[in-house]
Amino acid sequence: MLSLEEYKLANGLRVVLNEDHSAPLVAINLWYHVGSKNERPGRTGFAHLFEHMLFSGSEHVGNNEHFRYVQSVGGVLNGSTFFDRTNYFETLPSNYLALGLWLEADRMGWFVDAITQEKLDIQREVVKEERRQRYDNVPYGTAFERLLHLAYDPEYPYHWPTIGSMEDLEAASLDDVREFFRTWYAPDNCTLTIVGDFAPDEAKRLVEQYFSEIQPRGSFPAFAHQRKPLSHEQRETFASQVQLPRIYRLYHLPKMGEPDWVHADLLTTILASDKASRLDRVLVHEKQIAQDVATYILPTEATGLMLLQATAREGVAIEQIESAIDEEIARLAVSGITDDELTRAKNRAEIEHAHQLETFDARADLIGMMSTYFGDPHKVESWLEPYRAATADDLAHIARKYMIPENRVTSLFVPAGSAA
Amino acid sequence: MSIDRATPPSPTEPRPYHFPHITRTTLPNGLRILVAENHNAPLVSLRALVRSGADHDTAQTAGLASIVADMLDEGAGSRDAIQLAEEVGLLGAALGTGADWDATYVSLDVLSRNAEPSTQIFGDVTARPTLPEDGLERVRAERLNEILQQRNEPASIAGKRFASLLYGNGAYGNSVVGNADSVSRLTIDDVRRFYQQHYIPNHSSVVVSGDVDAQTAIGLVTRALGEWQPGPEPARPVLNTRPIDASRIYVIDRPQAVQSEIRVGHLGVPRSCEDYFPLSVMNAIFGGVFNSRINLNLRERHGYTYGARSQFAFRRQAGPFVVAAPVRNEVTRESVSEMLSELRRIRTGDIEDRELDDTKSYLMGVFPATVQTASDIASRLVDMELYGLPEDYFDRYRENIAAVTKEEITRVANKYLDPDRVLIVIVGSAKAIREPLGGLGLPVHEMDIDGNALPVA
Repeated sequence: MLSLEEYKLANGLRVVLNEDHSAPLVAINLWYHVGSKNERPGRTGFAHLFEHMLFSGSEHVGNNEHFRYVQSVGGVLNGSTFFDRTNYFETLPSNYLALGLWLEADRMGWFVDAITQEKLDIQREVVKEERRQRYDNVPYGTAFERLLHLAYDPEYPYHWPTIGSMEDLEAASLDDVREFFRTWYAPDNCTLTIVGDFAPDEAKRLVEQYFSEIQPRGSFPAFAHQRKPLSHEQRETFASQVQLPRIYRLYHLPKMGEPDWVHADLLTTILASDKASRLDRVLVHEKQIAQDVATYILPTEATGLMLLQATAREGVAIEQIESAIDEEIARLAVSGITDDELTRAKNRAEIEHAHQLETFDARADLIGMMSTYFGDPHKVESWLEPYRAATADDLAHIARKYMIPENRVTSLFVPAGSAA
Repeated sequence: MSIDRATPPSPTEPRPYHFPHITRTTLPNGLRILVAENHNAPLVSLRALVRSGADHDTAQTAGLASIVADMLDEGAGSRDAIQLAEEVGLLGAALGTGADWDATYVSLDVLSRNAEPSTQIFGDVTARPTLPEDGLERVRAERLNEILQQRNEPASIAGKRFASLLYGNGAYGNSVVGNADSVSRLTIDDVRRFYQQHYIPNHSSVVVSGDVDAQTAIGLVTRALGEWQPGPEPARPVLNTRPIDASRIYVIDRPQAVQSEIRVGHLGVPRSCEDYFPLSVMNAIFGGVFNSRINLNLRERHGYTYGARSQFAFRRQAGPFVVAAPVRNEVTRESVSEMLSELRRIRTGDIEDRELDDTKSYLMGVFPATVQTASDIASRLVDMELYGLPEDYFDRYRENIAAVTKEEITRVANKYLDPDRVLIVIVGSAKAIREPLGGLGLPVHEMDIDGNALPVA
């Protein structure tokens, strides 16, 4: 069991402390409950662009000085944005706890007057290069974006990826930055997790000192979107600069943490993880028609999704891959899974969870996630319980209920013309 | 309560950090074993290091070392590939095998309660792989398809062309994964011969770290690998480098590209270089960390890229020094020009005290954060074995960094960086970048992704 202590400041900031003296380090991690699902059409990509801005200085911290303060004492840091949240984190030598809290408090409370058009213009260009590097200039780079477009109606905010569109990035203004900050960035929309080598009384004193005078917002816009169910499978074939055809699938699921979501998570291990997993064994190892297969689910708060992909070997038609996949899913739905398969999947969940708790930074992030999505940091400790309780039939049920044509979208990437 | 927010808070007294104690032993067959206990998590990491990698590949056998590594889990002991994966999964373990330029690695991470049976599997994969013929056909087909896919990956193309221009056809010049011709030709005899010559205990080390008692770990490894038969130590291949007489630009055309993948660099130094510490500090200032000159210039000042960096690839023999960034087409010339001017500037001795102090304290302070896991610690011990680092290396690391001076940085920048003799490799849209690049006043050669020269347009 971890020693977890949770409390709230008067301004609503949730604080979670996990004291651990096994290394002279301290991990500071903030989860703001805002992500790309809180954007509106026309300003897609904004939550992520905003994350970049939060590294460009605040009232008492100059441009690029945030990085410098942390790195110059031997710290590591970053931030990331996803559909449902934005996180900021640093791991410091433990004697610099106060420095990290000072930096985070400054950008939570004293950010908005430090922004300039020049800083926004630079970060806009950086983010556009990020999009080119990760999406537009690499094979299959836009696959996830295409699946989201097929899977969700244009009004539903999972319709677009966190990176957003070039056009919307271009349109973002300083006023948008101010408004976004004033709407979402406040202590009562944040969980601050501290893990590592500190004395709890001292940590509490410092948190109070740096964060308590930041004003709460009181209320936040509610997420009121409902996903429209698909009436039938959405499909597309997309010709692009790839050498080998690849199939991408998205299956709708209940949101993260629901029993069926947990069972789907276990099922992805049974379908595609190592050489003995179903799709790997049949498509890659035995029939040798596929180059690779992968399945995974994402930690999403509003609604769940399972992703599946498989690449055809040279000369193999993508239709052959798709039939082989559907055959295996049908087999699983009808005949179920073996006890050994279930044990292997549970083992993998256990080792992955153990790895996440192993470092202060990953542990703090997991605590932030459990606090933000489930309102309960202690869920870190009980996380594996529904995994351990899962039965073989629970998993076959996932294949029968969710892995059906009416609940999926399919994007086929095929090579365009001659390869370059 | 009002507090002074304008001044960053001072640190408290630093808490000591100690790298875990290392227990060492050598078995009668010559296998070296290193153990570092760390009981923070219920996990154990096992690593085998065989001191031969793709540096032993020739132009004809390019890809062989990494194919042999991929063959290790195609069957081991009495298990075939599927049985092996099933058994590993039932133990809650993750098994990996692979080769890089200098060595071959087997890794197994496992829940500590299953350390004992897992070590036996780890031993089988390392010392008793079956290397079946049908396994080679599976691995070969997968590899050929991987090589095919890389033809559309700009970063991969840039890396391959840069290495080929710098090292020719010898060690470090071919891709670790090989090429379609060489991989098609490899036979099961090639695989088995490479295995027999190189996978020998007196040419290898095993590292164990994590939640296991040192003597227990040594006992487990001894049982799994004590019978492994030694052999004659293979000779190190000779590196053939081509001297660069003057800077040249090589454009590899990718007509639809929306970014240019840029590589600027030349030959670097081996890991054993006596100037390793000043070079590490110099490179961190130049392009090794987020706040380095290259990244602040190209990303934060100009917005040309999502990230720019530089690296000395410290290998057993001289790896390359490379400055790298993907940038949008329109600023390709400007980006190359900024890289070259930063290379010139760091040689002039223009280094601020704050820049030096920040970088040194980063390198000294960050070490504990990079060795939090059993797997991190195992990787450090593998490095120690591969590069022959002294036993007190991690204990003395801080003082070695602390001793680096501004004068030494200027000296090594002048000794090891040569902005007038660089290879400039750019994978991008030739149509979009050809003309502006001409403005740099350097010869521009165009080639296809296989390195065949194209007529100047």
